[in-house]
Amino acid sequence: MMIDRRLIREVDWVLLGLVLLHSLIGVFFIYSSSHLLAGNYYVRQLAWIGVSLVALALVLAIDYKFFVSLSIYFYGLTVALLAATLVFARFIAGTKSWITLGLMQFQPSELAKIVMILLFARLFAGYKSAYLTTRHTLFALALAGVPLVLIILQPDLGTAMTFLAIIGGAFILAGLRRKTVLLFLLAAIVVGLGGWNFGFKDYQKKRLTTLVNPLHDPRGSGYQVIQSKIAIGAGGLSGKGFMKGSQSQLRFLPARHTDFIFSVIGEEAGFMGVLAVIVLYFFMLTRMFLSVSKARDRAGVYIIFTAALLIAFQFLVNILMIIGLFPVVGITLPFISYGGSSLLTNFIACGLILNVKMRRFANV
Amino acid sequence: MPEVNIYEDLSLVRRRANTVFWVIAALTFLALSFYWKVQILDHKKFSSLAEANRTRQRTLAAPRGLIRDRNGEILADNGASFKVSFIRENVKDLEASLAAVGRLLEIDGKTLRNRLEQYKDLQAFEPIVIKDGLSSEDIAPIESRRLEFPELVVDAEPRRFYPKGTLAAHVLGYLQERTPEEIRAEPGRAARAGEMVGKTGVEREYDGLLTGEDGKITEVVDSLGRVRDEKARDNAVQGGDVFLTLDHRLQAKAEEALKGREGVVVALDPETGEILALASFPTFDPNRFITRFTPTEWNQLTNDPLSPLENRAIRGLYAPGSIFKLAMSLGGLDFGYVTPETTVYCRGSTLIYGAVRHCWFAPGHGSMNLADAIKNSCNIYFYTLGQRMGIDMIAKAAGLLGLGEKTGVDLAGEKEGLVPSSEWKTRTLKTPWYLGETISVAIGQGPLQVTPLQIAALTAMIAERGNRRKRPHLFLRAPAGGKGSSAEVDGAGAEPPFKSSTFESVIEGMWRSVNDGGTGKGAFVEGLDVCGKTGSTQVISRESAERLSLAGREIKTHSWFTGFAPRDNPRIVLTVLIEYGGGGGATAAPVAGRIFELFKDIQEK
Repeated sequence: MMIDRRLIREVDWVLLGLVLLHSLIGVFFIYSSSHLLAGNYYVRQLAWIGVSLVALALVLAIDYKFFVSLSIYFYGLTVALLAATLVFARFIAGTKSWITLGLMQFQPSELAKIVMILLFARLFAGYKSAYLTTRHTLFALALAGVPLVLIILQPDLGTAMTFLAIIGGAFILAGLRRKTVLLFLLAAIVVGLGGWNFGFKDYQKKRLTTLVNPLHDPRGSGYQVIQSKIAIGAGGLSGKGFMKGSQSQLRFLPARHTDFIFSVIGEEAGFMGVLAVIVLYFFMLTRMFLSVSKARDRAGVYIIFTAALLIAFQFLVNILMIIGLFPVVGITLPFISYGGSSLLTNFIACGLILNVKMRRFANV
Repeated sequence: MPEVNIYEDLSLVRRRANTVFWVIAALTFLALSFYWKVQILDHKKFSSLAEANRTRQRTLAAPRGLIRDRNGEILADNGASFKVSFIRENVKDLEASLAAVGRLLEIDGKTLRNRLEQYKDLQAFEPIVIKDGLSSEDIAPIESRRLEFPELVVDAEPRRFYPKGTLAAHVLGYLQERTPEEIRAEPGRAARAGEMVGKTGVEREYDGLLTGEDGKITEVVDSLGRVRDEKARDNAVQGGDVFLTLDHRLQAKAEEALKGREGVVVALDPETGEILALASFPTFDPNRFITRFTPTEWNQLTNDPLSPLENRAIRGLYAPGSIFKLAMSLGGLDFGYVTPETTVYCRGSTLIYGAVRHCWFAPGHGSMNLADAIKNSCNIYFYTLGQRMGIDMIAKAAGLLGLGEKTGVDLAGEKEGLVPSSEWKTRTLKTPWYLGETISVAIGQGPLQVTPLQIAALTAMIAERGNRRKRPHLFLRAPAGGKGSSAEVDGAGAEPPFKSSTFESVIEGMWRSVNDGGTGKGAFVEGLDVCGKTGSTQVISRESAERLSLAGREIKTHSWFTGFAPRDNPRIVLTVLIEYGGGGGATAAPVAGRIFELFKDIQEK
């Protein structure tokens, strides 16, 4: 399928450039933090960037309205995949979230995020009243609840939380009444207490108590946060230099090329590096959120907003988590952390934003 | 912006999206300010934490100084060995780790747990030695599995090695680990866990000289404790060597002579007080104790009824028997109870204080002067002399010869023995002195108790005719500096305790005992002019009797010989005690003779 020349001109190249810039910053620090490990992670990440760019181009080629119209089929497929994952996948690092497709391993829960974005866009596209009705709320919750429960069962707390962020974002946009918010809070407390007493695994409980006091369990779940904070703090203003951080090079830092890559940046590039990355990231997020005003229809607004929120939520949770302001939940830093599934998902999300933005004129 | 009416009104959702964006912006700013706090304000704190993370200080154990004999022969050396320590901080699941480590090192779980329990007060990052004395072959399987055991550290350490095995074991002593109690007792001292210190003998007495200065090494380690780099190193400084007064040839001869018996040989230079040989039997191999762990041999040794760990030369208490006749003679002459010409007639027995007393020679020695009495060790002569002197003058003579007090030798645990007096008896036993007891003391029996070293010191005084009294000692010199305990006896340089003529008369008797067919003739050495006195103790103490029955021995007398050579300008004093050896003339004197012989050979070379 050929794309109209005019459409290519309308692509937000600045945003795409920012995404690629972050991906390259990621490759640098993936190299720094994993060059001692076997497996050439930076090469693999570069390959994934390539794959993700192709995927992004494919997303751009098709009008987002087409995706939205198909979203209910995507949804069915995803639920089936998640269910299959739960049944067939083997445990990797304590969870059943990976399925193997040929040579590649993939997390269907990542794909589910994109599907939720499209599904909500479809669900709320024609919803014009100022506030959500109870019926609509319950229907949306029921739809989102099925994949969410499947993800919680894996168990993958990080992805489940991201999922909740998307649902919450869509609801906020659709308009939540104060009493609905209160009801949600009440439900959250009940579910939370129930979960704490019956559902949560011990490691998850530990992570929460560790947030309050990391020294409570310095060798266990507190270890990661302590080492991460040490790495960041030791970086100081200008950092220890590329590939010179003792915390990451001597392997005190856990998951340093994935979830904790920003700690490596903090240690090796210092506060100046942290400031630069956060400012750039914020610039990128701003550009994504500002695109909301470019969407020509309600579905587009929902797509841009939930996709931007998806990236912003992961970014915030990650940078707060590695410095001890949020429990360690296994959420990566989008575009920068190592990991194919996450990279692909975030590129597709970005592709959706670009897609909506470039098709902003009604007569196209 | 072409906001035309063909587009639906999205202002409400856009406003809401905007609000959410501002919340995100605020959270981003919050995160950024927290990074500022951690990276700029708390930088110093985290920097030092990172430094502490990546560096580890390790002690380099200093080799102890060598112990050599007077000729430079090495008696205590250092060998290479490895030890394995356990760092509790590096373990997540202690129980699982203990099980795995126990299998790897072949230590049973209980021992391992006790060991860690013993040091539970130490900081979790401090290594606790759990196995030592390993060779490089022993540690190969441990090193190859380093990654699985981040809690284990293998260090090389110098290990004490006694190349001559049991030789002079009681003099050298042995090392044991400094106990946690000792570490706590000296908080100021930079003691490290698992440090080996001298527990007895010279190792203990001169521990300060022999202990080196531990080195320190600062290493860069990774999260698994693997060493990546070395930052700084203070090398260990070996402790100073200590030269002892011992002569290893005499020592070996002395031990050879005692082999298979219980007893003591002490040889010293009467002029200087230098101990040339000090052997106590049975003995032990100190190489066996250079471990932090109690080997079964240790329990066997401590429970052995023959007490091989005891240094009998300074801690064995014996009745001096006829040896005491030397003290009687010196006192009797000097205090004027007899002259060298005074004679006593020996019929083989006599009646004193209403009791019949026998001489050891039943037919009787006939008429004896002092020198004859010493030569033949005639009991009747000394019964008579004792009767004349009375217990308190006997005690005075013994006291002047240093009996009843420690010689002050530079070995810990010396005993002082006992010289009874009427005052002593009323004080301790609350009963008056009976005259009959005096008669027992006169021939070295009764409550009288001496150590073999005291007898050697007494003999040295006689050999030197009361001049130049020196404390018996083992320390010769320390090339790196440091002093031994003083060889000077308190009040030395004062007048000799007895007149010179008194000494000469007694020495005449001792010379005749060896060279004129007396009881000491077994110690005769052609051309060495040996003077000596034998003794056989007839009384055994209650403790000895118990020990004896435990060891299943038949009760025989202890056998003594003490003497010096040559008669003029004496070079060596020799004291021999053989427990249950029978008559002194039959057992101890020939042993002395063999050692005198070797000394003569050494002198002539």
